Order: sequence, then structure tokens, then C-alpha cells
Amino acid sequence: MNLEKLLQSTYGFSSFRPGQREIIERVLAGEDVIALLPTGMGKSICYQLPAKVLPDSVLIVSPLLSLMQDQVAQLKKMGEKSVVAINSFLKPEDKEKIWNTLSSYKFIFISPEMLVQPFVKRKLGQIRISLLVADEAHCISQWGFDFRPDYLRISEILPALNFPQVLALTATATDKVTEEIKKYLGLKEPYVYTHPMDRKNIVYDIKKFEDGRDKVEFIKEFVRKFNGPGIIYAGTRKKSQELSVLLTEQGISAAFYHGGMEHQDRIFVQQQFQNGELQWICSTNAFGMGVHIPNIRHVIHFQLPTSIEGYVQEVGRAGRDGQPSLATLLYAQGDEVLLESLVMDDLPNEHEIKAVNRHGVGATHLIDQGIVRETAFRVISYWMTQLPIEGVISQIELLRSGKRLQVSKIRELIGLEGCLRSYIIQCFDQQLNDKPDNCCANDRINYDVFEAFSYSKEKQFSLEWQDRLGAILPI
Amino acid sequence: MLFSELILVIMKAVNRQRTISSPYHLIKGKKSGQTIQDIGYFGLYPYFGVLPKLDKKAYDQAVQRLFSEGYLLVNEQVVDLSQKALESDIAASPLNGWKYRGKENLFFNRLSLIVQTFSHTSQQIKIFDPIVSNEDVQSWVKKYLKRIGFRDLAVARAFKEELLITLTETEISETHKMIVMERLTGSGLSGLTWRQIADSKNLSLLDVQLMAVEALHGWMAAIERSKPPLLIGLMDGIIQQSSLTETAQRTEKLFGQGFSLEQIASLRQLKTSTIEDHFVELAMNDPHFNYMPFINPTLYKAIIAEGRRQETKRLREIKEHLPEASYFQIRLALAIRGKQG
Repeated sequence: MNLEKLLQSTYGFSSFRPGQREIIERVLAGEDVIALLPTGMGKSICYQLPAKVLPDSVLIVSPLLSLMQDQVAQLKKMGEKSVVAINSFLKPEDKEKIWNTLSSYKFIFISPEMLVQPFVKRKLGQIRISLLVADEAHCISQWGFDFRPDYLRISEILPALNFPQVLALTATATDKVTEEIKKYLGLKEPYVYTHPMDRKNIVYDIKKFEDGRDKVEFIKEFVRKFNGPGIIYAGTRKKSQELSVLLTEQGISAAFYHGGMEHQDRIFVQQQFQNGELQWICSTNAFGMGVHIPNIRHVIHFQLPTSIEGYVQEVGRAGRDGQPSLATLLYAQGDEVLLESLVMDDLPNEHEIKAVNRHGVGATHLIDQGIVRETAFRVISYWMTQLPIEGVISQIELLRSGKRLQVSKIRELIGLEGCLRSYIIQCFDQQLNDKPDNCCANDRINYDVFEAFSYSKEKQFSLEWQDRLGAILPI
Repeated sequence: MLFSELILVIMKAVNRQRTISSPYHLIKGKKSGQTIQDIGYFGLYPYFGVLPKLDKKAYDQAVQRLFSEGYLLVNEQVVDLSQKALESDIAASPLNGWKYRGKENLFFNRLSLIVQTFSHTSQQIKIFDPIVSNEDVQSWVKKYLKRIGFRDLAVARAFKEELLITLTETEISETHKMIVMERLTGSGLSGLTWRQIADSKNLSLLDVQLMAVEALHGWMAAIERSKPPLLIGLMDGIIQQSSLTETAQRTEKLFGQGFSLEQIASLRQLKTSTIEDHFVELAMNDPHFNYMPFINPTLYKAIIAEGRRQETKRLREIKEHLPEASYFQIRLALAIRGKQG
């Protein structure tokens, strides 16, 4: 079969990006595959193209609702109609229809918590599945920065589906995580494709300050020195709003973005950024998923990221077009202390474990009453179904030390005197080959390659509604 | 109308007989017996459910501002309006919450997606990210566009022309019209967030959101009046056939089949008090509502007379003088009278 031809006719691309061909060939050869591809390298083609050839349905387990919705939207945008997304937001009347016609869908997206419901399991057992795709497979790992207990349950459904062929996709995974993916998905001898994590066109910068307030001054100067598009990861919703106001006051086009905004407003901001109507987005980590903008030049972290993996994922949104891009990490004395307590606070505490143990794993009222936090509840109740209470406690201790390790890696990055790039790559058990000329803060950055600031000619809008209608419908 | 003016208009209408939280429930569109009943008593139809997502904190802040600016006065148990508030000139509003019941969002979502489609197709762009992700709206719009033959440029032009004419006819300020336009998206020109719109006009978030609802209610009414061939299609399923809430309609149906109030409650597994709320709503809306199964005529007349005498709609005050009447009977009687008066 001519894969290039298929690629051309399906997507209109003339050639594969690195890794895609190898992965697709192995999938079509019937092997289990674990694929580590950095974000923006076209992971979804790795199952979408095989689906054109494979006889039956492709089941995609997707841990994040927003990610699922985005992928469904992308598929539909390309004209694919045989797509269905099964998640807890489905309306009852739609469910009925979907269950009756399940086998007719080529692409079935499903969330992990739906996957293990007995009824769903039975329905899936009745249809034929050519390929099971575990998207964001690193979520399976308790060592990963994104651990989702529900994801472990994929392994429970494999027997019901008669152990289908599996493709595990992730953008970030260490050797340890890869081993866990193998173990939990029951993959005996998978083909593992590891793409070099290093993105040569991204330059790593760190700016250190004595006082947190100096960061604000730095941002002010920065946005008048360089042109966007850029993302400033602000850490909190409040900060994202403050920074956006700060930039707007400087005459720079900026908007904030966070999960507290209404859905329509978030779409507006995304589109404005995509259209180049905005230079800067000040956001929480909610921004990024489903954003397909190739020319992002800057990613600034106003606060320390909570893990190297998360950091690399966020930084990876820059420079998808291959052009030079700058990742700037801002640090003020004492930030690491704050970070440590922030990260540790996320974990279930002793009090919460005791409460769930006393009231049982079905006691969701503990969440409503504010006794146990929602994420903590999910983690505890998952482990309580797997282990006796002593095991749960030691499991959470393990998580704690894992988190501590993540924080210490960030601390190490901040204090580093050597090459930042090489350190980051090593965190993924890879070695740096071909250090680029423009590399990192500890190696003299050449800032001249980044486009200097210029007042863009913002579209001037008149105040008449008729003119705006005319601009929207120039007919 | 600004958000603070909305609160004042409602407080004026309830005329010292309700607490300061009653406008909140009304604006949010709470379907409780009290709120529904007050709509009839005080003629609050326009304001029902105009901002269903209203945040209590934001509401409280607006109320606090009205106090500190001297519009509202604390007076023992009730809230008084100051002279300043009573004399304030609040422009007439096209709000019609009771009629449209939040369906303006459906109307506007359809409109947004249609306009976005025309914006792209008329410029030969076939692929774009839909601004509305709701699948029901998407499939409705697909059918609609197919039906009107949207690929024909003449159709797109006619659609735009209808937009221009109907919105021009709508009796609201130019700012209102601009707000609605700014929420629309075209090719290369995205809609603006509420925050962006509010900042550019030096208004608050709630002000621009309320103004958008006003603009849409006014616009929809204009479309219903002139019935332009393309735009009238967007009103499909928007106009509520019955002015009753759906749950009250179900109660009405069961009652018509001969079930008693208590039987309906147990059938529907709802509290008796909820079913009572439904009857109050029915009484308010049905000019031929027969109160006889619930109140004997003597008691009915006594309640009405007591209400008149005390010039009040406060249930407790009536109950004090007529202990034999239940609260439900008082509410029912007042609902019928409120309608007549």
C-alpha cells in the first residue's frame, strides 16, 4: 500500500513528519506500539490514517474532555462523519441512539470513567474493534505529572474486548513511565518509538529576580522589546487578568484566558489569537489544548512550573513552524518554597484518607461538604478499591515522594550552571546531540533572532454597528 | 438599561413588600412558587430570567453600591427607595423575559453560526472552526442553510439586508446594537469577550450582558412583527407556546385527568408544596381558573377583602387575621386577584 498517497488524499500533506511513517507501518503490521511524539508533531495522524485501512472501529480512550472535544472537532472539520464521543455529558436521548449504532462508527472516543461502566463494557464487547488507542498514555503513570487513576482502568476492559491491538500515544514519557504503560496495558513486546524530545528551535531562558514585583517590570519591558505572538503562563486566574490589564495599558493587544470564563468567551479569545488579532495571551495552564497556532514566538512562565514534563509541554506550544522561539522562565527568590507547598497541597492528606476510609468509596457527599477535595477523593477511592488501607497510605506516600522529586528537578533547573537544554533532555532519559548555537541562558543567548517590537497596525474599528456587520459580511 | 437600574425597577414594582433578594431570584429565573407568583402580583414579566447565570456575589456588590450611592435605604425590615431612586429616569426596556425564557441564546447561537458561515463561504473559504460547538445548534443550522440555498451569493446578501433592516427598526440605542454585533464572528474577525466589550465602553460586565439581552429581545420582537422571509426562520421553536413552566404544565395535565393535588404529588414524587406552587402559577396564567376545589367562596372573598383592607400582599399579615386560611389558599386567592387587578 502506498501510505504517501493515502496521506495526500486524506490530509493533503505530501510527506510524513518524522516518526509518523514508522508508527503507522507498525500499527498496520498488527503490532502493539508505544509512540512518544512531542506535542505538535501530528500524533493523531498515527491512528487516523490506519483507521482508513483497518476493517473495524478504532476506540480512542482520551483522559481529558477538552482534548476529546478538540479531536472530534478536528476530525469533523476534515469531513469525517463517522465519529462519536462518549462521555458523561452525553444526553440520554443521544446515548440510546449511539448504543444501537455503535458498530457503525469508525472513530469511537471515550473517557476512562465511561469505559469501565459494566453496561458500556458489554456494549463495546459486542462490536469489533481493530485498534485501541490510549491517548495521553502517560496519564496512566502515577509517576507522571498528570496521573489520572481512572486511566489505570483501561487494563480492566482489555479482556472484555478480547485484547485488541493497542497504540499508546504520549508527548512526554521517561523510561520509567514507558515501562508502566507497558505493564498496565499488558503489552508484551510493543514497538516503542521515541522521538528526540529536543526542539532545536526553542531557546531556553531563565531570568532571576530578588523580588516578585520585578517580574512585572520585566514583562512590561519584554513586550515592548519583542513582538508576539506569545503566551504568558501566569499561574493563577487572578494573575492572568492582572497581567492582561498591564499589557493592555502598555498599548499591547492582550487578553486573558482561564477556566473561569464562559465557554463562548474562551472560544473568542482562542480565535482572536489564531487570527493574529491578539499579540499576547495571559493564561492559566488551561490554555493550549486544542490550540493549533504554528507561529507562537514566546512562552513566558511567570510562575515556576510544577514539573519538568509540564514545563516542556507548555513550552512546546512555541515554534511549531520551526522558526526560532524563546521560552522564558521567571524566578524570584522564594518561589521554590511556594511551589513545594503548592504541589504537596494537591495530594490527599491524612485527614482525607481517614474520612474516605470511614465513609467508604461511594461517599461523594464528602466532596460536597468540602471535607475531601475532588481530585484527592478520586485518588483515594481508586486505591481503596485496589489495596487495603495500609497499602493506600503507603501508595500516597510514594506519590508524595514522586512529587517531591518533581519539585527538586525544577529547583535543580533553576540553580543550574550548565546547559539547560541538556538537563531538560536528560530528565526524559535522552542525551543531547547537536547542541544548537542559540541554546540557553547559561550559554549566551542571541536575542537578535527574535523579531523586535513594532507597533502593529491594529485594525481600527469604527463605532458604528453597521460597519462591523459590513466587515463580517463584505458582500 | 444598566444592571443597577434593573434592580431599582424591580424594587419599585414590588413596592416595599419584598426583600432585597427577590430581584435576584427573579433575574435568575428561579422557578419557585414565590417568584412565579410575584411576577403576576407585581407585573414583573419583563425581567424574569434575563440573566440566568447571575452570580450572587456580583449581585450583592451591585446592591451595596445602590445603598452607598443613596438609592436604597435601610428601614427596619424592608428596603426603601430614596427620593433619588424614585425620581430616577429609567429608559423603557424591550426586555421580555417571561416570553422568551432565555431562548434568545438559542436565537443568537443560530445567528452567530449562520453569519460565520456566510462570512466564510461568501469569501470562498470552505473550512473553518465553528464558533458554536453545540451539536444541536450545528445540525439545525446545517438544515436551515441547506433549505435557504446558502451558497447563492444573492441569498447571503438578502440575509445581510434583513439583518440591517430589522436591527435598524429595533428601538434600542446604537450601543446596544454594537454590543450584539461585537458578539458576532466573521472570517478573520472574531467576536469579543464580555470583558473586552465592557472595557471598551466603560461599562460593567453585567451592564453589557444585560444590554445584550435587551437588544436581542427587542430585535426578536422586531423580527416577529415584520416577518422577513429568511430571519423569521430563526424563530423556529423560540416562542414559547405556553407561558407556563414545563413542570406546571405537567401538573395541569394530570389535574385535568382528575387527579387530586395530593395524588399528583405522589405520582410525580414531588412535595405537595411544589404542586401547590404549580396551582398558583396556573391561577396566575389561566383567566378561567376555578378555585372552588381548593377554597370555598366565603373564604376566598375574606382573603381578598383582607388583602385590600391591609393594602398588602404579605402572606403573614393576612394569615394573622384569617388563621383558618392556609398559606396555599391565600397565595391562590391573591394570584387570582393579582391577575384581575
